[in-house]
Amino acid sequence: MHKIVLAGEHSLLIYFSKKIDPNLPKKISNFAEQLIAKFPSLVIDLTPSHTSLLVSYNLNLTTYQQFLKQVEQCLNTFEYKSNHAASILLSIPVYYGFETGFDLERLLAEKQLDLNTFIDIHSSVKYLVYAIGFSPVFAFLGEVDSRIRAPRLVTPRIKIPAGSIGIAQSQTAIYPIDSSGGWNIIGRTPIDLSLNNPSNIDKFKIGDLVKFYPISKNEYVKRGGKL
Amino acid sequence: MSFKVIKSGFLATIQDYGRFNHAKHGMSRCGVMDEHAYSWANYLLNNVFDDAVLEISFGAVELEAQLDVLIVVTGADLDFKINHKPATMWRSVQVHKGDTLSWAIPKSGIRAYLAVKNGFDTKTLFGSKSVNLREHIGAKISQGELLNCVESFDTNERLMPIQYIPNYNKDITLRLLPSYQFNEFSMSQRDLFFNQTYQITNASDRTGCRLQGMPIILKHTKMISEGLSYGSVEITTDGLPIILLKDAPTIGGYPKIGTVFSLDLAKLAQKQPNTQLRFELININEAQEKRTVFNQFFEIFA
Repeated sequence: MHKIVLAGEHSLLIYFSKKIDPNLPKKISNFAEQLIAKFPSLVIDLTPSHTSLLVSYNLNLTTYQQFLKQVEQCLNTFEYKSNHAASILLSIPVYYGFETGFDLERLLAEKQLDLNTFIDIHSSVKYLVYAIGFSPVFAFLGEVDSRIRAPRLVTPRIKIPAGSIGIAQSQTAIYPIDSSGGWNIIGRTPIDLSLNNPSNIDKFKIGDLVKFYPISKNEYVKRGGKL
Repeated sequence: MSFKVIKSGFLATIQDYGRFNHAKHGMSRCGVMDEHAYSWANYLLNNVFDDAVLEISFGAVELEAQLDVLIVVTGADLDFKINHKPATMWRSVQVHKGDTLSWAIPKSGIRAYLAVKNGFDTKTLFGSKSVNLREHIGAKISQGELLNCVESFDTNERLMPIQYIPNYNKDITLRLLPSYQFNEFSMSQRDLFFNQTYQITNASDRTGCRLQGMPIILKHTKMISEGLSYGSVEITTDGLPIILLKDAPTIGGYPKIGTVFSLDLAKLAQKQPNTQLRFELININEAQEKRTVFNQFFEIFA
């Protein structure tokens, strides 16, 4: 069942479930689209996440009590029509090397895996885009095989280079720009995912699928990857 | 036509009311930190409420006017001078070609706003002129850079009545909406939060304001990540609060005890590290009424 809580003086948060579920991301996106279509002037921003949707509304046109009722009505009549064919599969090349994967050597030792097995495990899954956030074009991808899961670093790194691929428990992600962060870094893609290319803004969409494929060091450098 | 940057200062960026409708792309709301000082600056120039201004943090900025332009400076007293002579804040001032505007050091408050008639005409990125350094959207001003704006002349001088000029040295109590996980915090945890005086730490910026104090012990500190609203107060693993501000990430996984009322966040934007502050509760109806009055006065439509 849905639960709605107050999030701020002009925002509320809708929970669609207490648990992460691969069917939720598209359902939440779908509801977000319906909500903005129904109240184009009231809704000023939407932040979908794994199990919830943050809705900011125009305080000059409505109140919390009034808008809450409207959202509840919308939820009660909401019918989600799934459309599996609409999912896009993105393929991302990755150089899984010790120069680019700062935590790779440690993870191999901890997990008692050789490099090829590790790469196979990480690159054989079609990951679902559960959420976009933290920073632009940063997609939370799940689920990582339990054999290569690892918790966030206790002390986050000050600088993780753009293109780095990280793992945090059941999630994996690509850092689109140089940033600080605490994920375990296992490799890097030569692809530019920064907003220097403004069309990257829509590179990952919630509900899309992402697959990684290994490339050699030579290939990585040839495609513009930095070491 | 423009202002030329002679000294770029510690942190000076172009900001407007913010970047909306891009949270789904992971973009922060951004925008000015002190909405009160910002709104007055645009109001005194008869500008549109969301015109872009220069947000100057801590000072060390010098600009040279390359045109005649009507300006207003509001916010922190950073020892604002025109041609090396103390100049008036909170009122419209005619600046002439060749004049030098400077901000030296914080005397009261930390963020000053330079507004020009019709707003700065810098590049619009993803629907806003606001710079976000964390997201690499735009950059802080740099020496030699030209900040574009249009020529304007003093037609009707407007000033803020002196009794309304804020005193940024006053103690603040932040009014908090009981939002998000408020009800999941126990009575004793809430008591500890509301009955203590916190201190602003050095690790505070446009992303968030980190507080020092007695930690709140949490049983479980990890949640499924969810959308973060402006002003929400995370209690992190060490039990201490972070108030999320304009450049904060769009989603996060720490429990939140509440959300600070926006007009109190404007006051917080002027506070130095080591300042003490407390929290008290406000209800949603009161917060919305107060904010609506503010919005109507400044003709804010967002």
